[in-house]
Amino acid sequence: MGEQSFYITNLPLAMGVVIALFAIFYYIGWSSSRKTTTTGDLYAAGFTIGPVTNGLAMSATWASLATFMGLSGLILALKAPFVFLWIQWAISIPLITLLYGTTLRRMEVYTPASFIKMRYGNSCTVVIAGWMILTMVMYALGQMIGLGQAFEILFGIPYITALIIAGVATVGFITLGGMLGASYNAAFQMIVMTIALVVPMGAIMKVMGSSGWWFPPLAYGDMVPAMLAAVPDFFDTHYDYRWYFALIPAFTLGPIALPHLAMRVFTATSVKSARWAVVWFNLFLGFLFSGGYIVGFAGNFYTATTGTVITKPDQIIFILNVIYNPEWVTAFVVGGALAAGLSTVAGNLMAVAALVGHDLLSVFAPNMETKTKLRIGYVALGLGGLIAILLAFNPPKFLVTSILWAFGLLASAVTPAILLGVWWKEANRLAMFISSLFCGITYIIISPHVLPNIVVGNGVTAALGMASGLITVPLSFGMFIILSLIFNRIPALSAYAPTEEDKRMIDRIHGWGDDYDEKRYASVVWPLIAVVGCVAVFFWGMVPWA
Amino acid sequence: MNKGMYQKEILLTVGFTLLFLVLGHAASIFVLFPGLQGSWMWGFPVHYIVPLLLGWFGLTAASILFTLVMNKFDDDMEAMVKGSRSAKQVPSQTMSASKGD
Repeated sequence: MGEQSFYITNLPLAMGVVIALFAIFYYIGWSSSRKTTTTGDLYAAGFTIGPVTNGLAMSATWASLATFMGLSGLILALKAPFVFLWIQWAISIPLITLLYGTTLRRMEVYTPASFIKMRYGNSCTVVIAGWMILTMVMYALGQMIGLGQAFEILFGIPYITALIIAGVATVGFITLGGMLGASYNAAFQMIVMTIALVVPMGAIMKVMGSSGWWFPPLAYGDMVPAMLAAVPDFFDTHYDYRWYFALIPAFTLGPIALPHLAMRVFTATSVKSARWAVVWFNLFLGFLFSGGYIVGFAGNFYTATTGTVITKPDQIIFILNVIYNPEWVTAFVVGGALAAGLSTVAGNLMAVAALVGHDLLSVFAPNMETKTKLRIGYVALGLGGLIAILLAFNPPKFLVTSILWAFGLLASAVTPAILLGVWWKEANRLAMFISSLFCGITYIIISPHVLPNIVVGNGVTAALGMASGLITVPLSFGMFIILSLIFNRIPALSAYAPTEEDKRMIDRIHGWGDDYDEKRYASVVWPLIAVVGCVAVFFWGMVPWA
Repeated sequence: MNKGMYQKEILLTVGFTLLFLVLGHAASIFVLFPGLQGSWMWGFPVHYIVPLLLGWFGLTAASILFTLVMNKFDDDMEAMVKGSRSAKQVPSQTMSASKGD
């Protein structure tokens, strides 16, 4: 069988599903907007979100269209190794909460950049906020591509038209409700996307002959022999150990610095509530992720057994539903995709609004009225959305490419600043400034997307930023530590050294109150041991990839 | 400083970080030690289903442990900080009382 087009033919049904879902999202956004009166309400939901709602919202914010569509699309190409790549993302929120989320929650900050301003000063805030905004736009770009593709399937209209309609409707609903609306909408959207992803897969598995249709995430073991006959290498690990290790610097350490994920932790009612939200997050997200793996599995099985060529692999979930399920089910699945995209774009654009309206304006216009800052934040939100829509006009083959590449950039340019800022009193502001800029720019240069002639690694390993991250992430940590130790000991650079107030702040955010001790979080030996590890990983990353 | 609490905070943070990393990256253990591959569980190759289960239920269980332990640590820390604050206040109150006499 050759190439095919897959669309829903019943347009009124498709319209009905989209209008009904958008009506609910807009209602939740509108009712929340009536409670949004302060900056804290807009950016941190007034610090009022309980653990279950927050766990759902965390899952929805994290599980974007990359999970709903991109995951199965890349499993179609990379098979089981892409499942292994995906599993490790479930540790992002636990690590954020453990390593700095609860610590910064005590400060009642709105974004990690707010902490950067207090810890390192204005110049560093501009650099870090700049990297974060770039990442958020790249992240939103992936969602916009997915939303465009979902509307394309739903209405059978050209991709560009679909993209514009989906993009404008999305930015509108986020502008309406602020973080309160985004939080409650995200919780609702998580339920919608989970049902839309998992339940129809049960029906598809039943038609494919699996007796485990009653629990799609884990009960498809009886399909494995048939799968191995059709795709013998599906479960092969394919890559060497270095490929799997490279997931840590780029894809584990990168999302730690994602502002929209950290902001979810900051919305919690208390530090303890934030930790309980992590438990719910893992339960909900594991269910959704595992549902995504079966879509990729079934997609491989379908294409191998029928010989169908899929030109847009990201659309495989819709294609399976168009083939095996009634149209109303497919329409609901597209609604699930809508929920997945909206919840993440909401998080992305809220982060852009907070980074511009709160963090950058507090640097450039510290005396500006709060109302004006809020307005400019909203404008930034709209502009961020518009840029993402425009970039999505010419999408890469896989929507996850832009998102995953941005993770490596964050790990190289932002994660060391946050982690060392929270855990190491010696962290120097000039060292942070230099290492963040140098390693961020180096990461961009040696990735294949901007200067294709200067590239480390090849194929998907280079495109996703894994090969470059294995070099620039250890370089960034190592450079930051060594430069800090040197700069802190040069009297001419004493203006950049951490002040006693900086050091007292670190004790305070760890819960010590006024009980200050110079020696806490001030080791020199352990950071030097970390540098030795970074050097080893750096040279390992320099070895040419097979 | 209360060295015991400080060391406990560092140890708990490093310990939970490693635990989360192992649970999230269990597949790489099967790649590092290929001898662990070859078995089957619930119809799946063990190197596929075990990382999947650890990345879901393993992480959920680890998160419960993390929440209980760190919330208890916060309580202990809060009690210690309050204790040291009131210990500082008691002598000064005693002094002012004796001045009044």
